[in-house]
Amino acid sequence: MIAPIPTKKNPPSEIRVRVLRQNGPGEEPYWELFDVGYEREMNVISVLQKIAAKGKNVDGKKVAPVAWDCGCLEEVCGSCTMVINGQVRQSCSALVDRLLADEPDEIVLEPMSKFPVIRDLMVDRQRLFRALQRVKAWVPVDSYYNLGPGERQSTKEQERAYPLSQCMSCGCCLEACPQYNKIELTRNEGETDEQFEARKLAAFDEAFVGAHAISQAMLFNHNPTGKAIAGERLDALMGPGGVSACGNAQNCVAVCPKEIPLTTSIARAGRATTFAAIKKWFET
Amino acid sequence: MAQQRVVVVGGGLAGLAATMKLAELGAQVDLISLTPVKRSHSVCAQGGINSCNDQTRQLGDNEWKHFDDTVYGGDFLNHQPPVKEMAFWAPKVIDLMDRLGVPFNRTGEGFIDRRRFGGTLYKRTAFAGATTGQQLLYALDEQVRRREAEGLVRKFEFWDFLGPIQDETGRCRGVVAQDMVSMKIEAFPADAVIVATGGCGLLFGKSTMSVFCTGSAASRCFQAGARYANCEFIQVHPTAIPGADKLRLMSESARGEGGRVWVPRTPHDSRAPKDIPAGDRFYFLEERYPKYGNLVPRDIATREIFDICVNEGLSVDSDRMCVYLDLTHIPKAELDRKLGGILEIYEKFQGVDPRFEPMKIFPAVHYSMAGLWADYAKSGDGGLLPGSPRNQMTSIEGLYAIGECDYHYHGANRLGANSLLSCIFSGLFVGPSIINYIANQQGGYAEVPSSLTEAAVKTQQERHDKLLKTSTGDENPYLIHQEMGDLMTRAATVVRRNKQLEEAIGHIDELHERAMRVSLSDGGHWTNQNVIFAKSVQDMFPLAKSLLHGALLRDECRGAHYKPDFEKPSLTSEEPVERRRQAEVWCDEFEANNRKFLKSTIATWDTNSNQPQMSYEDVDTSLIPPRPRLYGLVGAEAIEEVWNERAKAKADSQQTATSTH
Amino acid sequence: MTSATGSPSESFFTRHEFAIRRLHSLTGIVPLGAYMVVHLATNASLLNGTETFQSLVYLIHSAGAALPLVEWGLIFTPLLFHAIIGVWIARTGHSNTGNYKYPSNRRYKWQRITGLIAFVYLMMHVWHLHGWVHFSPWIKLGDQLGFAQFRAYNAASTLAVAMNSLFWQAFYLVGVWACIFHLANGLWTAGITWGLWISAAAQRRALRVCTAFGVVLLVVGTSAWWGAISTDPEAAKAIEDRMYKANVEAGLVPRSVKKRTQPDPVLGDSSGDDAASELISTGPLSDAGQ
Ligand SMILES: Cc1cc2nc3c(=O)[nH]c(=O)nc-3n(C[C@H](O)[C@H](O)[C@H](O)COP(=O)(O)OP(=O)(O)OC[C@H]3O[C@@H](n4cnc5c(N)ncnc54)[C@H](O)[C@@H]3O)c2cc1C
Ligand code: HEM
Ligand code: HEM
Ligand code: SF4
Ligand code: F3S
Ligand code: FES
Repeated sequence: MIAPIPTKKNPPSEIRVRVLRQNGPGEEPYWELFDVGYEREMNVISVLQKIAAKGKNVDGKKVAPVAWDCGCLEEVCGSCTMVINGQVRQSCSALVDRLLADEPDEIVLEPMSKFPVIRDLMVDRQRLFRALQRVKAWVPVDSYYNLGPGERQSTKEQERAYPLSQCMSCGCCLEACPQYNKIELTRNEGETDEQFEARKLAAFDEAFVGAHAISQAMLFNHNPTGKAIAGERLDALMGPGGVSACGNAQNCVAVCPKEIPLTTSIARAGRATTFAAIKKWFET
Repeated sequence: MAQQRVVVVGGGLAGLAATMKLAELGAQVDLISLTPVKRSHSVCAQGGINSCNDQTRQLGDNEWKHFDDTVYGGDFLNHQPPVKEMAFWAPKVIDLMDRLGVPFNRTGEGFIDRRRFGGTLYKRTAFAGATTGQQLLYALDEQVRRREAEGLVRKFEFWDFLGPIQDETGRCRGVVAQDMVSMKIEAFPADAVIVATGGCGLLFGKSTMSVFCTGSAASRCFQAGARYANCEFIQVHPTAIPGADKLRLMSESARGEGGRVWVPRTPHDSRAPKDIPAGDRFYFLEERYPKYGNLVPRDIATREIFDICVNEGLSVDSDRMCVYLDLTHIPKAELDRKLGGILEIYEKFQGVDPRFEPMKIFPAVHYSMAGLWADYAKSGDGGLLPGSPRNQMTSIEGLYAIGECDYHYHGANRLGANSLLSCIFSGLFVGPSIINYIANQQGGYAEVPSSLTEAAVKTQQERHDKLLKTSTGDENPYLIHQEMGDLMTRAATVVRRNKQLEEAIGHIDELHERAMRVSLSDGGHWTNQNVIFAKSVQDMFPLAKSLLHGALLRDECRGAHYKPDFEKPSLTSEEPVERRRQAEVWCDEFEANNRKFLKSTIATWDTNSNQPQMSYEDVDTSLIPPRPRLYGLVGAEAIEEVWNERAKAKADSQQTATSTH
Repeated sequence: MTSATGSPSESFFTRHEFAIRRLHSLTGIVPLGAYMVVHLATNASLLNGTETFQSLVYLIHSAGAALPLVEWGLIFTPLLFHAIIGVWIARTGHSNTGNYKYPSNRRYKWQRITGLIAFVYLMMHVWHLHGWVHFSPWIKLGDQLGFAQFRAYNAASTLAVAMNSLFWQAFYLVGVWACIFHLANGLWTAGITWGLWISAAAQRRALRVCTAFGVVLLVVGTSAWWGAISTDPEAAKAIEDRMYKANVEAGLVPRSVKKRTQPDPVLGDSSGDDAASELISTGPLSDAGQ
C-alpha cells in the first residue's frame, strides 16, 4: 500500500527542476535548471509539459523544450521511463508532492543510463525489443484462421501467466540491473545502414538479454502452445548473455513497476536450463 | 505474382491485427507508428471484449442479440451490415486471441470467464484482469514481432505519418512519413495503405486517451480528400480522475460495487468529506433516479454530474469541477477483494486512499465514434462480403481505415467492450480485402513514379521547413492546444447548445488561424518534438471544426450527442386516452426525426475556405428497424405499446406485400 | 562491451559463456565451498588442543604422494578457474548500491568485493603457509621471505609462528570473514542459478538457511583464526615433536624433513635439512616430488 502524501502546509510556489540534457548521440551532456509553477496533483509529466509550454530555463533564457517520451500517462505503456532523483521509474506516476516530500530542494531528471541517449530524456530502447525476438517471445500458432479456441487452462495457470504478461517493456529492470551494460555503437566509416544495423544487432545478441526477456521466455514456455518451441527459447537463454549472466542482484524485481516476479522467472529459467543442459549432454 | 507491399499506419489493436493477417497472406508490410507499437493507446483498455459465447447462448443469447444490443446502444446510427458481421465474428476473434496466448481470466473448470458490461443482459465480456486491452495488444504485438523476425514486416517506430501519396486518378500509392528522431521525411510507396491511428481525444485537451491520440493522421487523410463521418459523436465517460496532465478512467465497477456519488449541499463546503453529516450531503443520482440510483447508464450519469457542477455550482472543489465517488462505507476487505486494481490506480496517482476518503471524479472524453468514412460490400445475408476490396476502404481509393479511426461500427454511442472487438475484427477482416484489391490493380508499389513520391515529400518538407523558419509567428503551440481543449470541452462534450456551438465555431476559426502562425522554441533538426507537436495541433483543427459543425447541425438527441433544447418530452397525461394520444404523437415525432437525422454526418474538407463541408448519408438499417430508446422516460410503457403495434403492422403489411407478388 | 568495435565474430568465451559460468558456480560450491568448510573445521580444531589439530593434519597428509595431485586437481585448479572467471565477472558488473539500496543489491556488491578480497587473501594465504608448489628452491626462497611457513608435522606451532604478526592476524581475519560471506551468499545465489529455490518465498527461506549456515561458519572460521593466533608455539612444538616421534615409531607417519621444523627428533640433528639425505632415508614413502 502506498503511504498517504504528507500534507504540505505551505506548498512552494515554484518547483526547481534539474534536467540532464544532451543534444544528440555522442554530444556532451549538460545540466539545465528550470522553474515551474506549483500546482496540486502534478506529476513529472505535467512538469515537463509546463517546461515545454514555457520554453525558458531558470535564467529566463529561451531554450528548446526538453525532449522526453510518454504515452498513456497511467503507467501501462512503458514509454516514460527515466531516472528521477537517482532512481529509475515511470515519470507519469511520479507525483511531485511525494518527490518534494523526500527531496524538497529540487527534482532531478536524467535519462536512463543503460540505453543510448537520443536527446535529453529520450533513449533508444531497441535492444530491449530485440531481446524479445531473441527469446522468441510469442506463441507459434499455425495460422490466424478460425481453428477454434485454445487449450483449456486452469485458473492456476492463468494466474501464473497473467503477472508475467503485464510486462510493458519499460526497461526499469534493465536500468537498475548491475549486470546490464550500455551498448552504444557508432557507425564506422564507409558502413552502410544495413551493415551498421547488423553489427548493432550482433552486439545486442551477445550481451545480457535482461530480466524482462527471461521472464517472457518463461511465460511462453509455460503456454500450452508456446511450449512447442520451449527448447529454442532455452537455447537462447543458454547462449551468450543468457540467463547465466544474471548476478542475482534482484534490483529488477524491486524496481519493476508492474511487480512482475522476475526473480522467480530467473530461477525458473535457471532450473529449466539446468535440465536442458543435462539432457543435451546425454542425448546429443 | 509480384510481392505486394502494404503500408499500415498505426500499431494499435487494429493496425497490428491487420499487419499480422497481411503478413500471413504473404504481403510485405511497412508498419509506421508514432510510438513503438507495443505502447499504442490500446494498452489503456481495461474492461474487456465482447462476444456471445457457449454459456450465454444457453441463456438465450446469440450473435444476433449482440448485434441488436450494439445498434440499440448506438441509437441506430451504426451501419448494420458491418456490425452484424462483427457480432458473428466475435466468438472467433476471442478464440483466436485465446490461441495467441492472451491470459483471459478462467472459470474453475478452465473456460474463459465472462463478466457483464453495460448495455446488455448477458455476460459476454471476456477479460484479462483489469488490463484486457494491454493483453490483447501484446498478443498481437508478439505475432507481429514474429513476422518481423521472419522478415515480412518492417517497423518504423517514432515515425509520424504526414499524408497519403495520391496519383492523378486520386488513388493512394503510398504515404509520406517523418522520422521523429532524425527528422528526415521519406516516401513509402505501397500497393495499399491502411490507417489505424485510433481516436482523437486530444481535441479536448485532456481525455482518458493517450497523448498520441491527436487524430492528426485521420485529419491528414481528411485534408487529402477522405470523407470524415459522424464527426460530432464523442463518448464521455462519467467517472474519471481529474489530473494535471490526464483524466484517468475510474471504471464503472466502482459504482457497480456500491459506490455512491454525492456533493455537499453547500457549495465548496470546506469541511473534510468525513465530517459532513448525511443531511448536508446531496446524493443527487439517488434522489433524481430513485429506481436506478448510482447505476444509471453512462450518458445519464455523465450529464447529471455535469449539471451539478456546471449549472448548480456544487462542485466539491472551488477551482475545479468534481464530485465525490464514495466507497468509504464499504468494508476495506471487500473493497480490496473486488476493486483492488482500480483503487490502486487512484491511490497511485492521487496519493489518497479511496478506502478511507471519497474519490473526486468528473466526466471525461473517452472515445470517438467519429472517424474516417469507410465503405463496405454487403453480402446476401445482410453481413459483409468477405474479401471485397471495398470493405473498410475510405473515399480515397486504396486507402483503408480500421479501428477507432473508422466510423461505422458504434453509431451514436459505443457499448463498453465493443471497441476492442471492432478493432481486431476490422484488422483481420480487411486483410483479404486488401490482397484482392491489390490483385486487381495495375502498377504496383515498385512502379510508383518517383516524380509522385518526390513531389509528395517536397510538399511536406516545405511545410516542415516553413514551420521551423517562421520567426514572425508569436503563438505557442502548447498554449494554443490548451485553449482549444478548453473551448471544445466547454462547447461540445456532454451538453450541447446551439448558441454555445456557434460561438465556439467563431473561436475555433480564430484559433486555427493563430495555430498557423506558431513560433517554435526549437528550430533544430534532431528529435524536434516541438515541430511534430505543432503540426499535430494544426491538424487537429479540421476535426475540431467538423465536430462543432456536425454538432450544430444535428438538432436532436442521439446517443452521446445531447441537446437539451431538442430533448423529446416525457408524456404528461395520466389519463389513458390522452396518454395514448400523446404516445402516438411521440411516435410520429420520433419517426419524423429519424427521417431527418438518422443519417451519417459526412464532412469533406475544403482547402480553400479551410472549412468542412457538411452533408448527410443514409444509414443502412436494413436488418433491425430503428426503435426508440426509452430509458428512464416517463410514459415509456405507453410509447412502447404504440411502437410495437406500429412495428407489427409494418411487418404484416410487408409480408402481405411479398406474398401477393 | 561499450566499445565501438564490438566484433560479431564470437570469441571462445562467448560461445561457451553458459557452460563457463555454470562451471564457475559449480566450482564455487564443490570443491571450493566444501573444501573451505572442512578446512576451517580442521583449523578450528586447534582450539581443542594441538593434539587434535596435529592428528587431523596427519590424517590429511596421509595421502602422501597423492596429496599434490589432490591439491592441484581438486583445489588449486578449480580455485584458479573460479578466481579468474570471478574477477572477470566482477569487472563486467557495475554496482549501483548508491541509488538502489536494496539488501539483495548490497549482497550482490559484497559478493564481488569479498570475491576480490578472497582472491588477494587466498593467493597470499596459500603462499604464506603452503607455498603453492613444493619445489625446493621455490620453498626456500619463500621461506626467506617469510612464506611457505607451514610444516605439516609441526602443524600448530608453524602456524602459530607464521601468524605471529599483527599484519597477518588482521589479514587473515578479513580474509576469512570475506570468504565466509562469499560462500554463504554464494550458496544462496547458486540456488537460484541452478533453479533450486524458485518462488520469492522459497528464496527468502533459503536466504535464512544460508544466513544461518554463514553464522555457524563464521563461528568456526573465527575459532580457527583465534586458535592460530592464541597457540603458544613452544608448547605446541613440544607436543608435536612427541607426537611425531611416537607416530613415526609406530609406523603411522612416514618420516619427513620437509614437513617439519628442525631438528628432527627421530633422525637427530645430523640430518640437517638436506633433502637428498631425506630421500635416501625415507624412500618412496616420503613426500618426494613435492
Ligand atoms: C481508458 C480507456 C479504457 C478503454 N477500455 C475499453 C474496454 O474495456 N473495452 C473496449 O472495447 N474498448 C475500450 N476502450 C477503447 C479502446 O481502447 C480503443 O478504442 C482502441 O484501443 C483503439 O485501438 P486502435 O487500434 O484503433 O488505435 P490505438 O490503439 O489508439 O492505436 C493508434 C496507433 O496509431 C498510431 N498513430 C496515431 N497517429 C499517428 C501518426 N500521425 N503517425 C503514425 N502513427 C500514428 C499510434 O502510434 C498507434 O500505434 C478504452 C479506451 C480508453 C481510453
Ligand atoms: C578467489 C577468488 C574468488 C573470486 C574472485 C570469486 C568471485 C566470485 C564472483 C564474482 C561470483 C559471482 C558469480 C556470479 O554472480 O555470476 C562468485 C560466486 C561464487 N563463489 Fe566465488 N570467488 C572467489 C573465490 C571463491 C571461493 C574460495 C569460494 C568457495 C569457498 C567461492 C564460492 C562461490 C560460490 C558458491 C559462488 C556462487 C555461484 C553462483 O551464484 O552461482 N568463491 N565468486
Ligand atoms: C583462520 C583461518 C585459516 C587458517 C588457520 C588456515 C590454515 C591453513 C594452513 C595451515 C594451510 C596449509 C596446509 C598445508 O600446506 O597442508 C592452509 C592451506 C590452504 N588454505 Fe587455509 N586457513 C584458513 C582459512 C582459509 C580459508 C577461508 C580458505 C578458503 C577457501 C583457505 C584455503 C586454503 C587453501 C586453498 C590452502 C591450500 C591447499 C592445501 O594446503 O591443502 N584457508 N590453510
Ligand atoms: S519486467 Fe517490469 S521493469 Fe522490466 S520491462 Fe517489464 S515491466 Fe518494465
Ligand atoms: S537486477 Fe540483474 S543481476 Fe539478475 S536478478 Fe535482476 S537481472
Ligand atoms: S506514459 Fe505510459 S507508462 Fe508513463
